Amino acid sequence: MQPDARSVALGAVDLHKSYGSTKANRGISLSVMRGEIHAIVGENGAGKSTLMRMLQGVERPDSGHVVIADKQVTLSGPAEALAQSIGMVHQEFMLAPDLTLLENLVLGEEPVTRHWGPLSRIDWAKALREGRELADSIGAQIDWHRRTSSVPVHILQFVEIIRLLRRGCNVLILDEPTAVLAPPQVEELFDLLRNLRANGTTILFISHKIGEVIALADQVTVIRQGKTVFQSAIVDTTGPEIASHIVRDAPQVETQPAASPTVNGETVLELNGLTARSLEKSQSLESISLKVREGEILGIAGVSGNGQGELVECIAGLREISAGSILLQGADITAETTLARRNRGLAYVSADRRHEGLTTAASIETNVVAGSHRAPPIARSGILSRKNLRQEASKRLAALKVVFGKVTDPADSLSGGNQQKLVFARESAGDPKLMIASQPTRGVDLNGIAAIHGLLRDFRDQGGAVLLASEELDELLSLSDRVVVIFEGRLVGEVTSPAGAMAQIGQMMVQGDAA
Amino acid sequence: MSSNVASRSIGILLPLVVSLIVSGAVLLAIGKNPLDVFGLIATESFGNPRRIAATLSAATPLLFTAVATAICFRSGVFNVGVEGAFLVGGLAAIFLGFTLPATWGFALFPVCFLAAALIGAIWLYVPGILLAKFEVDEVVSTLMLNFIAVAITGYLVNGPLLSPLSGNNVTPLIHEVAYLPRLMPPSTLHAGFLIGLVCVAAYGYWCRYTPAGFEGALIGLNQRFSRAVGISVPRTIVGVMILSGVIAGIGGAAHGMGQMHRFSDGFSPGYGFTGMAVALLGRNHPIGIVLGAILFGALASAGTTIQLFSNIPLDLVNIIQGTVMIFAVVELGRISLRRKKGTANAN
Repeated sequence: MQPDARSVALGAVDLHKSYGSTKANRGISLSVMRGEIHAIVGENGAGKSTLMRMLQGVERPDSGHVVIADKQVTLSGPAEALAQSIGMVHQEFMLAPDLTLLENLVLGEEPVTRHWGPLSRIDWAKALREGRELADSIGAQIDWHRRTSSVPVHILQFVEIIRLLRRGCNVLILDEPTAVLAPPQVEELFDLLRNLRANGTTILFISHKIGEVIALADQVTVIRQGKTVFQSAIVDTTGPEIASHIVRDAPQVETQPAASPTVNGETVLELNGLTARSLEKSQSLESISLKVREGEILGIAGVSGNGQGELVECIAGLREISAGSILLQGADITAETTLARRNRGLAYVSADRRHEGLTTAASIETNVVAGSHRAPPIARSGILSRKNLRQEASKRLAALKVVFGKVTDPADSLSGGNQQKLVFARESAGDPKLMIASQPTRGVDLNGIAAIHGLLRDFRDQGGAVLLASEELDELLSLSDRVVVIFEGRLVGEVTSPAGAMAQIGQMMVQGDAA
Repeated sequence: MSSNVASRSIGILLPLVVSLIVSGAVLLAIGKNPLDVFGLIATESFGNPRRIAATLSAATPLLFTAVATAICFRSGVFNVGVEGAFLVGGLAAIFLGFTLPATWGFALFPVCFLAAALIGAIWLYVPGILLAKFEVDEVVSTLMLNFIAVAITGYLVNGPLLSPLSGNNVTPLIHEVAYLPRLMPPSTLHAGFLIGLVCVAAYGYWCRYTPAGFEGALIGLNQRFSRAVGISVPRTIVGVMILSGVIAGIGGAAHGMGQMHRFSDGFSPGYGFTGMAVALLGRNHPIGIVLGAILFGALASAGTTIQLFSNIPLDLVNIIQGTVMIFAVVELGRISLRRKKGTANAN
């Protein structure tokens, strides 16, 4: 049967999914029509990845169902999704680096000259023919004999796509396909996706870059807090309208009047022309200058991947910089180690709580005192006192009301909110002058968010300086005294009274200017 | 805590039980009663004070090599070069033991031990710095250094240090004043066993009561976290390598001055590698290390006598030893997985 042009290739009807007490999806409906490019946008934690996992059959919905080719289905796993022609391109490519592109293309489903079980011979000529035909059909140039590890990242993405096409997929799900690409490569990818659409392939792509959605998609669906909140054809909407749906109806997390009276305190942190160029796939930073004063929260707004993570790492001493200087309370710390910076009063709350903020396998007490283990009272004349360590740990945990079982339990045993409180308990000990908080409430429940916001405000009100990087615009606006916007590694604007400036900031985040 | 103890005990006992089952099957296949044989092994290793002394004597070098290995493994550094450091340390001690004048008397002990510790430290400092500064894989570099250690010591005992009184592959004997005292003559159990226990205790103290030991455990679990809280990962790596070399070198000296009294080609029948199995079996825990070393010591000492009293081949004891090692080393895969997770950058 020839599929009708207006049939649903892939869809969802009122999907719900909870993990423990966290409601990741609470009513998502979606219809991706055959032959269209459909974008799903939403903030981190909005429920996009949970949705993808259900569409792909990795997770079963608690209620609601997935629709494939106009039929309700219950998927048993990704293999079944693949059998139903649904393929997914992950952010991390599933290619073996030491094989050639051609070997990767056929891996797992090799064409053979005769079916003799283990004695079958792979028909490489046929494999190459298939690869070339598929590449030609979507306008990609691929040297199939190159080693995978030597090939630029966008070509790998093409190979992933071609591999799914070869397996008969006509619906492709792409998870933030542009996150790892440079701008010219993004153009190439978009051309290729348009060719795919022309060939009748349906594409569902996840993004949080509104500019790309406008440039590429036919339809857009906005997800917020696990729900579908907006659906529209691209021609009927605008970038700012989409942006407003991404951030609108935030739970009013106690939007206190943020302005604090003491913004004219001493400068605590000063960056002068900080530049960091990297050969890896991370955003370079270009000539960033800013100041954070006592009693002030400076927010850094930016779409994920525009350099806020890299900037924070540079200040913490975890990433090399190529030019510029960093001053902490007037002292040049550009060349200092992380340890020296911490001893001067720098505190760092990592965005990656599970891998950098904590050692989840180590005990709670170890996690909360690490970094202070060479100084009194924990260590005296080179000997570590277990008694003082435990006292100090208990003191810090009690000060921030961390809820835990035993101090010897692994940090993994804590809830997300309590894990983050543990991180704050460690970082706020020892009277820091500057708190760098990167995505401090990511993966934290609402109560935890309120507590963490309280901690940041208290720290500010007691004269501390805070540099806050967050992708949650509501959070930035409700906490920050000033907001700077970072776009493609540069600061593109500053807003001195953030309350009510959401549209302006959103515009700068997406387009790099306020025009 | 109790579940922790339980899981530790299972971790130690499981390889033993599995290897008993495997070797029991082998025994049945060759028509022996497994229980009789295991009973014989137990008697031969723990049956009377002399047998116990022989077991502890065989366990002595393993105490050192296991501690030297555990220091690195718990820090996520896969140092397999303890064997090499044991050899060069041992040779250094022996060399001074017969070269320095015998009139030095007891002063020979500290001098020989210090020299062995120093040489061992230098030996493992090299792969440590290569790993810390240039990310040279430590498994490869330390493994290769073992071959170099065998070659250097082999050359020296066949050439410049060859005993003029002996034809092949041995150095002269050290001065008698430099012999470590025997604890239960006529058994070969010597004071090196006590030094080994001191090293195990010092290791346990280092793990729990020193900032460096605290940092070692942290970088073993999560390097990104360690860096973020201000711990220097390269310095810690070099530090644990040096410590490992010190212990391995002292072990070589103790074995040389207590057991062999000279250096020969077969100075170490793979103590470094058996020590690795002991460290893994003991889960890097001091008590686990002592028990593991005694277990392997028992198998070694029983193996040499068991074929005198029965027609059971020595190979069978080697099979038991081998299976214990294999199942102890299963743990290695888990550690290396954990390390990969720790260093992999999420995002």
